[in-house]
Amino acid sequence: MIRNANIPGDDENRPPVLELQDVTVSFGMGAEAYVVLDEACLKVEENEFVVVIGYSGSGKSTLISTLAGLTTPTRGAALYRGEPMPAPGPDRGIVFQNYSLLPWLTVVGNIDLAVKRLRRDLTGTARRDYVQKYIDMVSLSGSEKKYPSELSGGMRQRLSLARTLSMQPEVLLLDEPLSALDALTRSVLQDEIIRLWEEDRRTVVMVTNDVDEAVLMADRIVPLTPGPGAKLGREFDVTLPRPRDRTTLNFDPDYKHLRNEATRYMLQLSADKKTRTETRRFTLPDLEPANFGA
Amino acid sequence: MKYKIIRLLDVAGMNCFEPVVRLCYGEEPRQQVRKIGLFIVAPVVVFALFIGAWAAIAPFIKTKAGSLPSPVDVAGSLVDVYEFHWREYAKKADFARTGDDRDTTLALVTQQLADATERKAVVEAELAELTATLDAETAATLKKYEEAIENQTLVYHASQFEREQELHKLGDKLEVSQDEPREQYVASVREHQTLSARESTHLKELRSDLAAIRKSTTPQFAALLREKNDLDQETQFLDKRASLLSDGNRRSNVASAALTLKNADAALAAAAPGQRYDATLDYLGAEERVLSSAGAIYAKPPTFFDQVFTSIECVFVGFLFATAIAIPIGVLCGLNKVIMASLSPLISLFKPVSPIVWLPIVFIVVGGFIERPDEAWVKPAFLSSAITVALCSLWPTLVNTALGVASIDKDHLNVARVLRLSMWDRLTKIVIPSALPLIFTGLRISLGVGWMVLIAAELLSSSPGLGKFVWDMFNNGSSDTFSQMLLTVFVVGVVGLLLDRIMIVFQRLVSFDGGATAL
Repeated sequence: MIRNANIPGDDENRPPVLELQDVTVSFGMGAEAYVVLDEACLKVEENEFVVVIGYSGSGKSTLISTLAGLTTPTRGAALYRGEPMPAPGPDRGIVFQNYSLLPWLTVVGNIDLAVKRLRRDLTGTARRDYVQKYIDMVSLSGSEKKYPSELSGGMRQRLSLARTLSMQPEVLLLDEPLSALDALTRSVLQDEIIRLWEEDRRTVVMVTNDVDEAVLMADRIVPLTPGPGAKLGREFDVTLPRPRDRTTLNFDPDYKHLRNEATRYMLQLSADKKTRTETRRFTLPDLEPANFGA
Repeated sequence: MKYKIIRLLDVAGMNCFEPVVRLCYGEEPRQQVRKIGLFIVAPVVVFALFIGAWAAIAPFIKTKAGSLPSPVDVAGSLVDVYEFHWREYAKKADFARTGDDRDTTLALVTQQLADATERKAVVEAELAELTATLDAETAATLKKYEEAIENQTLVYHASQFEREQELHKLGDKLEVSQDEPREQYVASVREHQTLSARESTHLKELRSDLAAIRKSTTPQFAALLREKNDLDQETQFLDKRASLLSDGNRRSNVASAALTLKNADAALAAAAPGQRYDATLDYLGAEERVLSSAGAIYAKPPTFFDQVFTSIECVFVGFLFATAIAIPIGVLCGLNKVIMASLSPLISLFKPVSPIVWLPIVFIVVGGFIERPDEAWVKPAFLSSAITVALCSLWPTLVNTALGVASIDKDHLNVARVLRLSMWDRLTKIVIPSALPLIFTGLRISLGVGWMVLIAAELLSSSPGLGKFVWDMFNNGSSDTFSQMLLTVFVVGVVGLLLDRIMIVFQRLVSFDGGATAL
């Protein structure tokens, strides 16, 4: 099922797929409360590839789990197709940062856990073929009988992706799926995710800390200001034509411009944050250590 | 192949043999030899040292039941209990033998009996001869020694009497009112008493030396005596077998009972009018005997190995009870903080209670449920021991299960939430598999505790098993039984070790993180 990309004129009638309205998430109570997200606003349209970019510890995972319904906002509202966010479900498939594979199940077992639950119509060979289709999709063929502990980091992330894709979610939420991988594996998987997305343009929200990755993959980049109390910053639309080829892209002036601008903006955010914290610095008393020797 | 064997050894928890396998495949021989030295040779040497130290110390620890049995005695007692075991089983089999089997066995046994009797006669003759020569040799020595003691006794008596007379005389002449002579007199009487005591101690020592000489035997004599004892037992055993194969056989019993029945029937047929009622009673009694003798089995006393088996059975029954209680409660505690908080005082309260306290209570309660212990399909003593084992061994499983369930990875639960798994699926597909390694750690500790508790429980409740065996041996109090008690120590240790190894295998099979297991 290949859905068409943004149909012009249709957007105004339909509510966005995901929407955050002044969402504040904090943990703890009273004076000890730790504010992770502070009045964040975000709209994600149908079939859009949105990348949220932010420093580590800026509440990216909290943002994703709010979008999945795993975390309930302390204040504000999270909407799914205009309705209040329902309980987490397979329609908002999430790929966790640390894979979250079940270590006692094999590659097949991990995917089958989801398939058995969600595709009760499939039995016997049909179900096996269905599982195999997703294993092949993420190029894990040949490792069906392996356990997660026997897989490399990249393979684990592929498996995690396959499990989520097998749920056939309407929205794919990727929580720093590539940040634990080495640079080479990372670029292979970036291409793979793009390929899968282009086959079947779902709505994707991906979180990352890598500007290059964001520019390469996104339709729209949303920066997250450094936490605590992270807000969503100025958005960048990425209008580079697809498919984007990483080798030629490096010479594209638009790409370079966008990349530099986004990087500068992120560095600016960090600098602001530093000045903000510097004002709160304690002034140390002007003390000299006593000289015991003499 | 090499890695398969190594993996197998790893799962079985026998990593110490890994270097041997690697050496066989010629992998880094120097390294492997060093490892063999560390993991195999060193423990064996230490074990040998332990046995050596035991053998050296044992003769110096004297008890009422002879000196502490040496390793050789204990090994001998293993042979003894094994012999007893197979003899009892042979008798049991003989009792039920029929037909040609019975005839051929009887012929064989009769032959063996004749052989044994012959050998016994030879040994007895040798023994008698040896006794005669030894007696003649020792008689002379003994006589001299006895005379010497006699003389010494007379000398001491005479000197004591003399001293007493002297003191009496001195006492008569004493000026009691004056301090100095009085004190002198008291001192000399005291000296007399000390001297007499020393003399009588000397005499006692001499007499015990004499007793030692009387008892002393040559190794040859001891060996012959042992052989004679063994042959005594063997002939007795063969005699019993012969009787069980002929007159004492079940078939013979049935035949004789049938004959009685036939006679009773005939008697009833010929009975005069006044005796018919009594004759019928006789007939019915005879009928009863035919039935009971047909179904009879040889009343075999439990052998050592039967006791080991019963103990293992009992510990497993108790362990099953404990598992059935501990895992569900542990899962509930792990899942729900309220349940955990409300149960933890109870758990903390009962966890340290000793089996010795539980047993009598359990015994009374179980006794209340089973009114006629003889007819019950399970012996109350057995059930009480099993329940005591359960009560003492369920805690490690409970605590570990609760911990395993409570410390489940939050991401795994998020997966369950996204998949909208039902409560049951969440439990069986996510929670339990994830807690399984810790559950098995708990089970392993529980089984170890259960085995330790069981021996104490059996000892107290007189439930058949190793505990009762030790208690019976203690009450017997001969040197043979003493070494059988020490044998029990090793058997309990070995069985405990095996149970632990079995649990390690299970633990390894369910652990997905490949983590190391403690020894």
